[in-house]
Amino acid sequence: MSGRPSRLQPGAGLSKSSALSHVYIQYPPLRCRIPGSRGLFFDDGNKLLICPILDQIFSWKTVPFNPAVAYTSDTITEGPILSVRYSLDLKIIAIQRSSHEIQFLIRETGQTFSQKCRQESESILGFFWTDCPLCNIVFVKTSGLDLFAYSSDSKSLHLVESKKLNVSCYAYTHESRLVLMASGLQCKTFHGFQLSAAGIVRLPKFEMTMAKSDANSKPVLAIEDVFIITVYGRIYCLQVDRLAMLLHTYRFYRDAVVQQGSLPIYSSSIAVSVVDNVLLVHQVDAKVVILYDIFTDSRAPISAPLPLLSRGFPGPNIDVRSSKQDNATLEDDAVPDEAIVYGDGWKFLVPDLICDHVNKLVWKIHIDLEAIASSSSEVPSLLEFLQRRKLEVSKAKQLCLTLTRTTILEHRPVASVAKAIEVLISSYIRTTKVGPNNKESKTDRSQSVVPQDSGSGPVPGSNNRDSAAGVESEALHRTSIFPSSDSEENADIKQLNTVPGNHQSIVEAQASSSQYQHLGPGCIRLNDDVSDEGSMISSPSISPDEMYSFVFAPIEEEIVGDPSYLLAIIIEFLRRVNMEKIKVNPNIYVLTVQILARNERYTEIGLFVHQKILEPSKEVALQLLESGRHNFPTRKLGLDMLRQLSLHHDYVSLLVQDGYYLEALRYTRKFKVDTVRPALFLQAAFATNDPQLLSAVLRFLSDLTPGIKHTSDYIRYHQILTEMNSCASA
Amino acid sequence: MGLSTATTAVSEAIQLCVFDSRRGQQEGQELDKILFFYPADLPFTKQLYIIGLSEGLITFTRTFSPEAACEVIEAEKHSHVFFEAEQDIWMVLVVEKNKELEAIWRIDALQKLLKEIHSLFLMFHGSIRLLLEKEPTGEVSRSHLYSFIMDYLNDFLVGKKLHLPSFTDCLKERGTVQMLTIGRDAALDVQALVRTLDSCIGNTSCHSLILFQDLLVSTTLSPDDTTNLFSYAVLRLIPRVLSSGASSWSYLIRGNVASHVGQHGGNVGNRVIRPLQHGKWSKGKDGFLETDIWGMEASGWVGSTPKIWLFQTEEQMCLYVHQHKTLTLILLVPVSSIPNGEQGVSIVRQYILENASLKIVKVEEKLSKGWGGENAYHVGGYRYLLVDGDRQISRASPPGKVTTLAKESLLAMSKLRENVDLEKSRAKQDSDGEEKELEVTIRAKNNAWVISRITRGKELYMALEKANETLLYASDMVEKFSNRYCNGAFSLD
Repeated sequence: MSGRPSRLQPGAGLSKSSALSHVYIQYPPLRCRIPGSRGLFFDDGNKLLICPILDQIFSWKTVPFNPAVAYTSDTITEGPILSVRYSLDLKIIAIQRSSHEIQFLIRETGQTFSQKCRQESESILGFFWTDCPLCNIVFVKTSGLDLFAYSSDSKSLHLVESKKLNVSCYAYTHESRLVLMASGLQCKTFHGFQLSAAGIVRLPKFEMTMAKSDANSKPVLAIEDVFIITVYGRIYCLQVDRLAMLLHTYRFYRDAVVQQGSLPIYSSSIAVSVVDNVLLVHQVDAKVVILYDIFTDSRAPISAPLPLLSRGFPGPNIDVRSSKQDNATLEDDAVPDEAIVYGDGWKFLVPDLICDHVNKLVWKIHIDLEAIASSSSEVPSLLEFLQRRKLEVSKAKQLCLTLTRTTILEHRPVASVAKAIEVLISSYIRTTKVGPNNKESKTDRSQSVVPQDSGSGPVPGSNNRDSAAGVESEALHRTSIFPSSDSEENADIKQLNTVPGNHQSIVEAQASSSQYQHLGPGCIRLNDDVSDEGSMISSPSISPDEMYSFVFAPIEEEIVGDPSYLLAIIIEFLRRVNMEKIKVNPNIYVLTVQILARNERYTEIGLFVHQKILEPSKEVALQLLESGRHNFPTRKLGLDMLRQLSLHHDYVSLLVQDGYYLEALRYTRKFKVDTVRPALFLQAAFATNDPQLLSAVLRFLSDLTPGIKHTSDYIRYHQILTEMNSCASA
Repeated sequence: MGLSTATTAVSEAIQLCVFDSRRGQQEGQELDKILFFYPADLPFTKQLYIIGLSEGLITFTRTFSPEAACEVIEAEKHSHVFFEAEQDIWMVLVVEKNKELEAIWRIDALQKLLKEIHSLFLMFHGSIRLLLEKEPTGEVSRSHLYSFIMDYLNDFLVGKKLHLPSFTDCLKERGTVQMLTIGRDAALDVQALVRTLDSCIGNTSCHSLILFQDLLVSTTLSPDDTTNLFSYAVLRLIPRVLSSGASSWSYLIRGNVASHVGQHGGNVGNRVIRPLQHGKWSKGKDGFLETDIWGMEASGWVGSTPKIWLFQTEEQMCLYVHQHKTLTLILLVPVSSIPNGEQGVSIVRQYILENASLKIVKVEEKLSKGWGGENAYHVGGYRYLLVDGDRQISRASPPGKVTTLAKESLLAMSKLRENVDLEKSRAKQDSDGEEKELEVTIRAKNNAWVISRITRGKELYMALEKANETLLYASDMVEKFSNRYCNGAFSLD
């Protein structure tokens, strides 16, 4: 990763449109146009998009998202299809044929068998495969849940357990492993089960809130208005209250369901996506999307509502800037209206896909971190937000660095910069504590991505606990719930960035070279190495050493005038780092000395050295010597530091250089420094032209160094001394 | 000998004068030379005699050593200590030699005293030469010098007698700063506070000094300015001094000053600023120290802002002093950068209260917690003085511990220091900036070890009583001390 501030990203006409949207879909979509299609289904357990025709089903993998992915097909028997889901090992396809029958197709052999329910008393609402150890597939019926285990020997299902409940409708996401079942007249009483690898957890019954227009009206909750989402490893349920125009949020704990406040909505039709733990609430009628980061208790949106944009749409000479204009022309061009945003056929799939049933397309939703960053001025909270990002890690990191640099260059108040630094350091501390594999050597990095994302789960967890129950259930959820497919998504991002970015980066390269100069909020640029290095780092956290290399060092070159400001920032940085007992690279201390010395603030250098604000190191000592060329006490500080560090060789050499031969010799004797050549002393003593000194040095050396009397140096200088003496006596 | 100037009066055991050898060159105008004389009631003939003698000695010695004229003349009954404060402006201290023990002086210590008087005067009034140039009659300069030096000497007054630093003070070094040793945590907190203070008025270069009790914690000033301001703070500003307040105020001296100023000055319009007057600072409700030394505002209670001159940059600075418990913060803001007089002043105060209060409280807590009490820097078995000449910093055994030393030890130490001073000043003149090393270990009459080590700008003096008799033991003790408390600076051998 490169921290040079002047380096510009290639890639992405993104920034052009960044003012217009924070969320976009990237052209091309995944096309699943099959003649004779009988609808599109999404199997969220396997993230498969499924398109059946009369006697075949086609499926496309959506993770990693690749528009060019090839489909696989299976032959099936003819008949009605209500729903299709592959088993989690992809060996069996389950097809719901009617409200009473589900047919199973064993892909390897083509064998089929069916499971039916009692015709008269119950009907099947749906089903899902599970990785729960007890069972393999769960039927949701009007009379409750049936848990079946599949036996490969007998090629049949057998009932393991039944949960008797009245169910009018249900919601399930594989991501959360949570099934919510509504009952009651208004469909607002909910029962929930979580069927995860860790076992089955029954959630307490709870009621959803519904506003009433008058005392007698009893609005019925539609299941389309209930969303299960997973952010930061926590499970939430979102419920649209159409009358109150609110989106209520509920958080699930192992033993409680807690309402967590409500978000306003501005459209009667609402859809929800989650991208990289950011909640996207699509106000479908208004054609805008509002972003929330519900990590903290704050329910404030990240930024103002902006439209969802489609990017990278090709066409004759089309600049991809404004979707609206382009759409108009595109429609005329008889290009299918693929790019119509919030079209009628749009269905939002969990967590971040859009399925266009009309055009038979699947889009993946992206958030534009750059755009978000440039539209917010609250730097500390923005940094917190970026630090929590897991998808475009490298981009988030670069943005954080750029933002920090910018705030300092703009001379924002020290207190607010200190806050920003605080955010970055705390985030770094958390990642080093949570994922030790972060600090692995470079060769291991690419592998460490996987355990980092799927294993340890989201950064937060550990420090955001609402209750004792929360702690417990969080732990549970983290192990059981966190989507196993996320690690794949990382890879997916990498591809996305390379594939569509290619042609754009060429266009962009010419325009971009001079853009760093003005770091206005509108044009925050970053070194977009995401595509090649995105997989190398697993977290956007910034180590103190990186803070030096990518923030302080580059800034120091650019900042002009009074150094007090930068100094104040460095102090705040050191203070924060010191609180966490992190060792930092001596470079930051070297820099501090340079700044102080340049402004002749030598008293402070002395104070800093003595109070150990500048930790002793060879680098600092050498800088002190260098800066002390015009200030002898400072030079001495450097010498003293060398001595304290027991860098005997350097110390002795410098003593000799400064003309303190005898001190140097005594020191040599005391610490048995044998790396300094005797000739150095002799030469120096000779240079004084003082025979007394030369003889003293010779004497000293002959006592100190055994065998020196036979070396050429000794003989030579002895000779010289004799000559000097004879001259003197003559 | 012609130097027998002493009269029998006890009050004349010590004389201190300041004179300008450029003035009163013509016969009959010699009185014009005199800028200050103590005791003031000494007949002019005697004053002139001392000044004439001093001038003569200076002229005489200049013929041998044009750059550094005499520093001290030892006569049979008196020592004359010279200090050329500014060019051709001399301070001369005449001390009587007698059999009393208190009268055993160390010349260098007395010179440092003169130097301190002058440095402090410079800080508050600017240079004497400048004052004289502004007002050639010298009346203003005289009244300034008079009240200033009398206020200073007041601290040395015991009864009616001046007690100047004598051999008992041999383990002290005037003109140096004593620092509080703090850990890295605290140091960083202090620095964060310092940065807040320094940025109190935009980009202007403000300076600050922070003291914990009578120890320096941080400074952004040059060593000279730090020393001056530190000395002043310890004399007049720190909590201990404030609380002891006006009790030590001597009415005798005040009477003198009043009469003197009246007699000499007469110039009523020109106020005499007396920053060394006791009991003139008091702590206000907001933690800022108030004083009327610099006059009163017409509007009322807020005194006019104190102003001082920096030695290094010759810049005039407004002086703010804020105190929280044991912590004293001194903030200097360039006068030129305070926009609208008193209004600007209150803006600075407001800024500090708003931005630094919390940090001040925290720093004070942290330092108090880590503070080891007044004997914190006592090292068992040692009575020492450690001087870092480069940084003008010293540390010594606490005074209470030094008094336990036998008179013989102190006398021996004083004598040793006297010799070392001599050696140092010789080395200074001889070599071109190269620093000499020195090692002296003496067995005193009372079997105490009196030791001095000088190495590369650092000096260590120590007295070891009840110690083993071998020299090896003594140097071992030095080595241990050096390794433990001086980063091994003195353990070269």
